[in-house]
Formats: sequence, structure tokens, C-alpha cells
Amino acid sequence: MATTVTSLPEPLDPGTTNPGPTARAGGGRLYLRRFARNRSALFGVALLVLLVLFSVCGGYLTHFSYTDVDFTALTQPPGGTHYFGTNQGGNDVYAEAVHGLQRSLVIAVSVSALTIVLAAVIGAGAAYFGGHVERLTLTVIHFLLVVPSFLILALVSHHLAGDWRVLILVLTVFGWMSTARVIWSVSTSLRERDYVLAAEFMGVRPWRIILRHIIPNLGSLLIVNLTLGVVATVLSETALSFLGFGVQTPDVSLGTMLADGSGTITTAPWLFGYPAALVVLLTLSMTLVGDGLRDAFDPHSTTGARGGRR
Amino acid sequence: MIVVATNVTYLLAAWFLDPRSNYRGLRPVRTEEQIDHALAPYNLDPRAPLADRWWHWFSDVLLHFDWGKSPVGASVNSEIGFRVVVSGQLVTAATLLSVVAGVALSVFTASRQYGWWDRMTQLVSVFLFNVPAAVAALAVVFAGIWLNQHLGWRLLYVAGEKSPDVSGLWPTVADRFQHLVLPTLSLTLLGYVGYHLTQRSLLLDNINSDFVRTARATGLTRAQAIRRHALRASLIPTATSVAFSIPAIFTGAVITETVFGWNGMGQYFVQTIAKNDVHGAVAVAAFGAGMTAIGAILADIAVVVLDPRVRVR
Amino acid sequence: MTVATPGTHPPAESAATAPVLSVRGLSVAFPSEAGPVQAVREVSFDVLPGRTLGIVGESGSGKSATVMGVMGLLPETAQVSGRVLLGGRDLVGLGDRELSAVRGNDIGMVFQDPLSALTPIFSIGRQLSDALRVHQDLTRQAAWNRAVELLDLVGIAEPHRNARAFPHEFSGGMRQRVVIALAMANSPSVIVADEPTTALDVTVQAQILDVLRTAQTETGAGLVLITHDLGVVAGYADDVAVMYAGRIVEQAGANELFGRPTMPYTIGLLGAVPRPEARASGQLVPIGGEPPSLVGLSAGCSFADRCPAAVDRCHSQEPPLTAVPGHGQVACWRAPDIAGGNPAASSLFSPPEAAVEEHRPDRQVPGETVLRVAELARTFPITKGALLKRRVGTLHAVSDVSFALRAGETLGLVGESGSGKTTTLLEIMRLRPPEHGLIEIAGTDVAAPRSTEQTQRLRRTVQIVMQDPMGSLDPRLPVFRLLAEPLQAVGTDRDAVRIRVSELLSLVGLDASLADRFPAALSGGQRQRVAIARALATEPRIVVLDEPVSALDVSIQADVINLLTKLQRELDLAYLIVAHDLAVMRQVSDRIAVMYLGHIVESGDTEDLFTHARHPYTEALLSAIPVPDPQVERSREHIVLKGEQPSASRLPRGCVFADRCPLYPLLDGGTQQRCRTERPLLRPAASGTDHRHACHAR
Repeated sequence: MATTVTSLPEPLDPGTTNPGPTARAGGGRLYLRRFARNRSALFGVALLVLLVLFSVCGGYLTHFSYTDVDFTALTQPPGGTHYFGTNQGGNDVYAEAVHGLQRSLVIAVSVSALTIVLAAVIGAGAAYFGGHVERLTLTVIHFLLVVPSFLILALVSHHLAGDWRVLILVLTVFGWMSTARVIWSVSTSLRERDYVLAAEFMGVRPWRIILRHIIPNLGSLLIVNLTLGVVATVLSETALSFLGFGVQTPDVSLGTMLADGSGTITTAPWLFGYPAALVVLLTLSMTLVGDGLRDAFDPHSTTGARGGRR
Repeated sequence: MIVVATNVTYLLAAWFLDPRSNYRGLRPVRTEEQIDHALAPYNLDPRAPLADRWWHWFSDVLLHFDWGKSPVGASVNSEIGFRVVVSGQLVTAATLLSVVAGVALSVFTASRQYGWWDRMTQLVSVFLFNVPAAVAALAVVFAGIWLNQHLGWRLLYVAGEKSPDVSGLWPTVADRFQHLVLPTLSLTLLGYVGYHLTQRSLLLDNINSDFVRTARATGLTRAQAIRRHALRASLIPTATSVAFSIPAIFTGAVITETVFGWNGMGQYFVQTIAKNDVHGAVAVAAFGAGMTAIGAILADIAVVVLDPRVRVR
Repeated sequence: MTVATPGTHPPAESAATAPVLSVRGLSVAFPSEAGPVQAVREVSFDVLPGRTLGIVGESGSGKSATVMGVMGLLPETAQVSGRVLLGGRDLVGLGDRELSAVRGNDIGMVFQDPLSALTPIFSIGRQLSDALRVHQDLTRQAAWNRAVELLDLVGIAEPHRNARAFPHEFSGGMRQRVVIALAMANSPSVIVADEPTTALDVTVQAQILDVLRTAQTETGAGLVLITHDLGVVAGYADDVAVMYAGRIVEQAGANELFGRPTMPYTIGLLGAVPRPEARASGQLVPIGGEPPSLVGLSAGCSFADRCPAAVDRCHSQEPPLTAVPGHGQVACWRAPDIAGGNPAASSLFSPPEAAVEEHRPDRQVPGETVLRVAELARTFPITKGALLKRRVGTLHAVSDVSFALRAGETLGLVGESGSGKTTTLLEIMRLRPPEHGLIEIAGTDVAAPRSTEQTQRLRRTVQIVMQDPMGSLDPRLPVFRLLAEPLQAVGTDRDAVRIRVSELLSLVGLDASLADRFPAALSGGQRQRVAIARALATEPRIVVLDEPVSALDVSIQADVINLLTKLQRELDLAYLIVAHDLAVMRQVSDRIAVMYLGHIVESGDTEDLFTHARHPYTEALLSAIPVPDPQVERSREHIVLKGEQPSASRLPRGCVFADRCPLYPLLDGGTQQRCRTERPLLRPAASGTDHRHACHAR
């Protein structure tokens, strides 16, 4: 009975044996169940929810605004009406932290979302069309990766000084490359899939194939990269602002607070400690969520799709 | 690649940085014309077409290796001369340590997958993955100060790259080392994490691969099969990634140098941008690209050594 | 007799040769989302020195998990119970260190995929001598010398030089030889081979099975041969165990099992296999249904739902493996009845009603030509380097291929991997001007300029079904949208799409309720039906089928083949089928073209070609297919070709087959000269037929 020379290897793995009840339960619920079983991911979600709540509602718990200056209390340690103390200029650190967290979150989430869209279209497009388009895109990507993009970021954002909306734009324009490269390399394998070929043979138009067959099948990768992109953006926003190139006074982000606090780390550690803790908690929660999502989507893969960092 | 990158940076820098603003705040107030006139000898005169300035700058770099002048007339070359050494030292040491520490940890933990050590180190690494460079550097500073206080004498320096008044070979070496330890440590803490986590997962992927199974079927234990067969195969992608991680380390160095008050390229970059020093900023970018290129070449060599498939027979 | 009753000692006559390996009540379970997967349940068998035990089963039957359990190479999450006695010592529960002392020394293993089974970064000789030095106290030099000897033994040419080669420089067949050398290096008492030839071409399969036999005689080991291929088992195994849903359901000597199968599953399996040696009386007889999920198995016999002989007891109580006189051991409540001839084994499964009548109506009037391919050629550049690609050569994937296909007819392209058959299909499907030659679809030259509308019409005319339905159906789209896609692509409006989709589902025999399922929620057979329905959506006249059944299990294969035959008759379709499996081809094709290195070397009417093959390659190919009948398989003469199909990057000047041709050494100098310098053209084998072949010697 000479049957299959190219048959699939017999699955040792029970997850891929005949479609049992699990396969019929539908993907969404299955992913949710896997995610919910992951304790560290749930911890990440809880942490994230708390942080978002804090950034949105935290402001109502104090009557200080981040721009207010309390001349009666300069460089006050935490306690009393100033929960997190005040800085040298009499600004309430708590109010600043709430605002800074909000600012950092908004920047990070928008940059990450914009980046992923840009990277998905460019990466998947390059992989699908191949040939000259692909070569050109890759050259641009590699070029931008070789240029210390952080330096260019600093250069550009310094010039455009201060406006956080511009910062979002700049971070996106110089931040999509490594994600695009990851998406490109995964898409090249998707491009060879039979269903893409089949769609081609049915006469489906190229961009329709990209939007309908390639990008949806990147799904989990995109979601995971979205969360990890938030981490990367928070870190680079922090770094930029720390050096004075990102968000600038009078606006406040976690990065500028770190910069302000770094000089007085021994004398007034609270100025540095609170924003530092918030940044770490924020990125940590995002990382945990991202790792949890990845494990839920693809329990067999141990390879991280971590994009560029910092 | 480096050449193109550097040139693009030049154009961007010339476009975005405005050296004239340095003079505007000066007393006595000068007219725009006077400012432009003052900038002209440094090849920064905004009245000259950008193409001309670029060509002037580019030919100087090519023919005389002269990277130009700052807006106040200081030579970029003399500024970067010693800074390159200082930063190169830091970046190289941190990269090497990161790779060694990350890979060693990953091998150690992957063969004890899901054991106590594996979980512990992974927890620490995931945590460190999320610490911004500035926070990490300052935490190291804090720890250094604490250590010095407890020892009662200054073992490790938290500021500067050298002491001004040290002479003699051994004291100099010791002094440099005392300065180097903490910044390198903070950079390594940030750098090793990536290697640990990716190398660990690459190793685990390889552990489940067919050839490791074959190796185990010939009678190697799991740990032996990982060390002898999985590790070398999984090092190949890591070697290539080293080149791409150098820009990240360099960025980390900018912050570390700022925090530790090192007179290195990173700190210079911050200064140059703040002072609208077009030529200085470009020189830093060229340095960064150069480090990346060196990393890429080394990575290629490493891949050839590791992987017989790319060797030409 | 070598098959012992589980739990008892082997019969007296075999006491002289005590089993080297005894497995008793081995069970393997994997934890999963839906509960434990019972991959292996209560499996027992003995392996005697020098004998071969074949374990057959379809995918998911637990055969691989069984041997991995024996080797102790299961993932750590697996729960293993039972006993694995090797020389009287129980291996279950031993630690990694103790097992490592056994693996490679007492048990050697050969894996399925030789391409990934060797470490890419070490030389062949290094890997072999390492394997020797793990268990033996040898100097580096002594181990190396022994490694070279082993390479020579498994038939690697120039072993001294090749020991220094790296795996990527070897072909699949050569790598599998190395893996066998690794397995036999320390003269183990048992060699386990898990699908050792599945990833290889048929002509190479025969070579590897020979090497395996050499390894067995050299070491005197008992061999466990895992395979899904009944033909391989028929040719090589002394005893056979059939596995279904994690259990051994029938175990007997090869002759008894093939001659007098008793378990209905075995009977069905043997009936569903297309046989290469004879044009079967017509229709393949499918078993029907699909294997059960291994999670939460019911209390009864796991085959009961598909079994035509099932009685009430079968659904409530699982039958134990019991000896049936004259038949080996069978796990079936009806075994005594079937052994007694009531019901008769041959009448258990009946062909589907629609097909019982005339299988293949005579084609008195050949339809009009719908597809014409002439002198088609396709090359690919071979490049090196990652960033800067340099062209280092040219791969001649297809050279000078011509054929015509008429309405209602099936043309089969056969050949081993790399013969250019799939490239030919893809060239046709692309609808672009070919690199060289002519492609004419329904009278339209694809190279001619045409409007968008004409392109759409061409697209409608020719559609494709690919090998693996799992891969060709986008996993993120439900069945409805999968079927709607080709219709939308040619501009069908929404209502028409809905109507057509439900028509299509009933056409391929699928329930309308499946329309909102995702491919992952379908079984293998259902998926391939969806793929076929999708190809039929635009009412094409030509359907191109790329290995349409090779990804399916035998028991499902027959269903799909029957469906294809039925559809062809009802819709007057022209099929262009590509397959490597000649037995399937004989079943479905009217005409066959045999390809080698991008050339058609022989073509003609299927029966004519099978019975009077003219080209030596066709002969060898036909001879290489194992026949699922021990008597036939062991008595017939095999032509075992040397070497493997070379890469098409450097085509020989003369006949492309000359290097491997078994005829060539027997030829006189003049003809040899011709074979070397002049490419033979296709010419009629006999006047009056369209049987043509390309050979100077015949």
C-alpha cells in the first residue's frame, strides 16, 4: 500500500491529534482559558488595571495639580497633604506622578499601536511582493537599524521640542523597523503557505491577500508585539526625556521626573523613587501580559518575539 | 552603509540644529548677519547652500579625517579623540560581559528547565528587562555609594572615568578599573537580559529538535546532549544578534555616561545636541555606526566559525 | 510463533530464543486542555533476536508514542506505566542517567526525518565516533576508524573522505544511512526504526530497507519497524501488530495477518489500500468514519462506531487481545465469528452504492482538448549569500514537457520529489507566459494579451486542489468564507455566492451546518472535501490536483478518491493529477506520464504503462512500490536503483537517467555513447497507441 511519502509526521503531541472537543470550542475561548491559567499574566493584568486606574482617577484624590507650586513646602518628604512629597520647586510629586504616568501611557500606547500598523503593512507587503520591493524595504530597514536611531530620535525631537504629540510621531517614524523586520520574516514563511498560493490561483488581488490572509494570520504575533512595543516605547520615552530630549517642561512625564530626581538621589530619594517604581511596574505589567498572551496563543513556542528594546 | 548613515545624519543634523541660536542669547546682541559671519569659518554659515556645506564637510572628513568644528570653533577631532577610547572601553566590556553572562546563564538554567534556579533567574531577568537604563544606572550608583560607606573607604568610583592625580602604571590601571566597574556593571545588567532570555528559548527549541533526540538516542544524557549538540547550534542566531544589539548598548551608554559623569561619546552627544553642534553630533553617530559595523563583522566571523553550512569548501 | 500472550511466558518452542525486548501493559498518557490523551493503552509485545516486528497504524494510533516510551524519550509531561523489559531489566521509571547507559548501547534508534536527525554543525565521522565513545572506551583514532568502517557497511561511498563531510552535504538517503550507522554502532540487541523510509522517495526506500536489513544481520538485533505502509510491513516484517486508537487490535505472523485478517479494522484497512500490482476490481472500499479522539474514550471498542460487524456488546465493553486459533491474537468480540467465516471477512465492507455499478464507463468519445502544454520549460536561479545574492547556477526544474488533456479525462504525472511535476502544475496555474513553450487553456494561449475579464474567465476554467488541506485552507476563515472567496474573486454577487456555497457543500457530501466551522474543527477528510468544493466553486473545466490524498490516512484516502471519481463523471471534469504514489495513480488515472529530472520519460495509457513499461526508470519505479501482500512482495523480483535522483542544476548532456540506469552497464559501447551524448526523444513504443517513451536502448 505505498501510501504517503510526504505524509505529516505522526503527532506525538496530543494537542494536534484529531479534532477533539477542544478544537470545536473555538479559538477565542481556548486562548482565554490558557491565559487565565497563567498566574503571572493575571498578575500583570491586575497590575496594569491598577496603574491605568491610578493614572485616570488618581488625580481626584489630591487637590494639587501637577502645575501647582506650593511655596510653603519645598523638597518635603512624603506624608501629610503631599502623599509623595514635593520637589525643589514645590511641585506635588503625587500629582506629577499621576500626570506623568498618564502622559507616558498615552504616548506608549499610541506609538505602539501606530508602529504595529505601519510595521505590519510594510513587513507583510515587502514579504508578499518580494523582488525589488522587498529588497528596497529591507535595505531601508537595515539602514535605519544600523544608524543609532536613538541619536536621530534625540536630534529630531530636540528640534521639535516638547510637544508630546510630535514625540509620538517621531517615536513611530523611527521605531517601526525592528518590528517590521520580525513581521517580514514571519510573513515570508506565510507567503509560501498553500492558502496564499491558492488565493493567488483563485485570482484574489494582492492587497486583498495581504489584508485577508497574511495579516490576520500574524494575529498573535501582532498582539504580542503590541504589548512588548508598549514596553519598548516607555523605555525609550523615559530615556529621551531623561536626557532632556523628549517631553519638556512644563509638561511632565515619568522620564522627566526621573531626570529631576536623579540629582538628589541621596538627599531626596522620593523624587526619584516614585517615578522609577511606576515605570518599572508599568513595563513589568506589560511584559507579563505580553508573555502570557504569547504562551496562550502558542503554547509550544518558547522563542520570544521580543522586538528591539530601548 | 556607515558612510551613507553618517551622511544622512549630517543632513538631518544640519537641518534640525540651528547653531545661530547659540549666539542669539549672547550680549552684546548681534545681528543675524554678524552671527552668520561668525559661523562661516566653521562651515556652519546658514547662507551657504546645504550642498556646499555638506561637500566641504565630507571632503574634509575623507581627505583629512577632519570632522569639523563646533559652533564656538573647537575642533571635533580633539574632543572625540579620548572620548572614543573611553566609550569604546565601556561598550566593548559591557557587550562581552553581557554575552558571556547571558549565554552561561541560559545554558545553566535551560538544562534545569522549570527548576528553582531557572525560575529564579528568569524572574530576575524579566524584572531587569523592564528597568529603564536611567533607573538601573542610578540604582547601581546608590549601591556603590552604600558599599563605599560601609567599607569606610572609596573602593569604587561613582563619578568620572579617571582620577586626575594618579600616576604610574599600576595605580593608573587600578584607578581606571575602579571607575570602570560600576558603569560596566549597570550596562551589563541591562544587556545580559536579552541574551539570557532569547538564548534560553533558542536552546529549549533546540532541545526538542530531532538531532538532539538522535544524540540522546545514542546514549547521551539530556544535559550532555544540550551542552554538546544544542548549544553550538543555538549560538548561531545569537552571534548574528550581537551586531544588532550594539546600538541598544550604545544608547544605554549614553545614559550611563550621563549618570556616572563620564566624558565619553554618549555624554558628548547630549552636549552637542544641546549646543547645536552639528559636526560633533555627526561624529558621534559615525562612531555608533562604526561600532555596529565592527560588531557585524565580528558576528559574521563567529557565524562562519560556528556553522559549517556557510563555510565554503 | 513469536507473539506471546501478554503476561505469560513465550511458548516453549521459542524458549531457546528468549525475547530481547518484552513490553508488558505499556500505557502512555499526555495531559492536554481537554483532559489526558490516552496515546497508548496496555500495549504488550515481544521482540526476538534477529526477527522483525512490524507495528502498523494510521496517524494518531500511538505507534510512535509506543516506541518513544520504550526508548524513554517521551516529553517529561507524559505519564508512562507498564513494564519495558530489556534483557530482564525494567526500563520504565529509570532515571535519565541509567537510561542513557542503555540507549545507543542496547537499543539503537532510527528516526523518520533524516534531514533533521543529524546535528548540522558536526561532521558525520565526529557524530559516529562520539556515539561509539559514549559507551566504549576507545581512543579518538580507534573510534574514527570504526566510524569509517560503519559508513562503509551502510553503503556510503568513499567512507574515508565522507566521514569528514557535514550532514548538509549529504542527500536524504545518505543521511538516513548515517542514522542507521549511528543506531547499530554499539551492536545493540534491539533496533527501533520509526517510519524510517516515510520521508524518502520510493526508489530510495528500497535501498534503505536493505541497509536496515544489513544492520540487523550484522548485529543480530531484533528489529521493531514502525510504519503506516502496509507494503513495507508485508515485505520486511516477520510479525505484525496493528494499532488503532492506542491499542494493539490484532497481532499475528505476517502471512496470517495479510492472508486471514480477523479484526474488522485490519480487514477494512487492507481493503481500502490501492494495490499497485493489479488493477483492482474497480472501486476502493472505504472504511467510513474517522478514528476517535483519544480524549475521554468510551468504554466500548474504539472501532465500534465504524465497524459493520459491531454488536451491542462492542459499544459497552472493550474486547481484550485474545488468541484466535489460526489467526494470531485479535481484540474483537466478533473474532471467533469472523474467523469462522460468518460474517465473511470479504463481505464486511461494501463499496458505496453509487459506485457499485460500472466503475469507469468506457470513453468511447474522447472529449475536446481543454489543456495543451507544449515544450514547457522552467528554470530557477540558484543563489548564494544572504544579503548580496550571487547567482551560482541554474536549476532546470522542467525541461521540454508536452502533453494534452481532454475533457472528462484524468492525466497523471508521476515521479519522485524533484522531478518537476509540481513545478509543471504551478506553471499552468500561474496563467502567465511561460519561460519557454506554450500553455493553452480551453483554446486560449496564456501568453496572449488579454483583458481583465478574459483573465477572470481563464481563472474560472482552471482550479487547483493542493496536497495538504490543513495548509491550503486559511485557518482564520470559516468554511463559508473559504468557499466564497473564489466566487468573489471572479465578481459573483452576494446572493449567488450564498446559493452556490450550499450547492457546493452538498456536492462534496458535507453537511450545511459545517459552513461556519473553522478548518481546525474539521477532520482531515472533511478538510480535503472543503478544498475540493472550493476548487469546484467557479465551475471549472480543468481541476489540477497536487497529491490530493497523500496527506490523508488510508482509511480516509479511499473516500476522497471515490468522491473525485464521482465528481469527474457528473461534471465532465478534466483532472491533471500529480502524485508520487503509483498505486493511487493506477486507481484514478486514464493516462500517465512519468517524469524524471524535469523530463517526461514515458507516457501512455495507464494499463498499458503498468503492464508493459518500456523505460527502465518506469520499470524500477513500479518495482520499488511495496505490495501489501507478503506472498507477492517476497517472491517478486525487485529492481533496486543505485543512488538518488540528482539535483537538476547540472543536467547531463545525454539521457538524464543514464547515471542510475540499470540497463546502461549492459549496453554495448555504441549505445552507451549515445546515452551519454544524445538526449533521447519521446517516441511511440508500439504503433497505434499513444504509449511513448524516451530511451535509446529500448
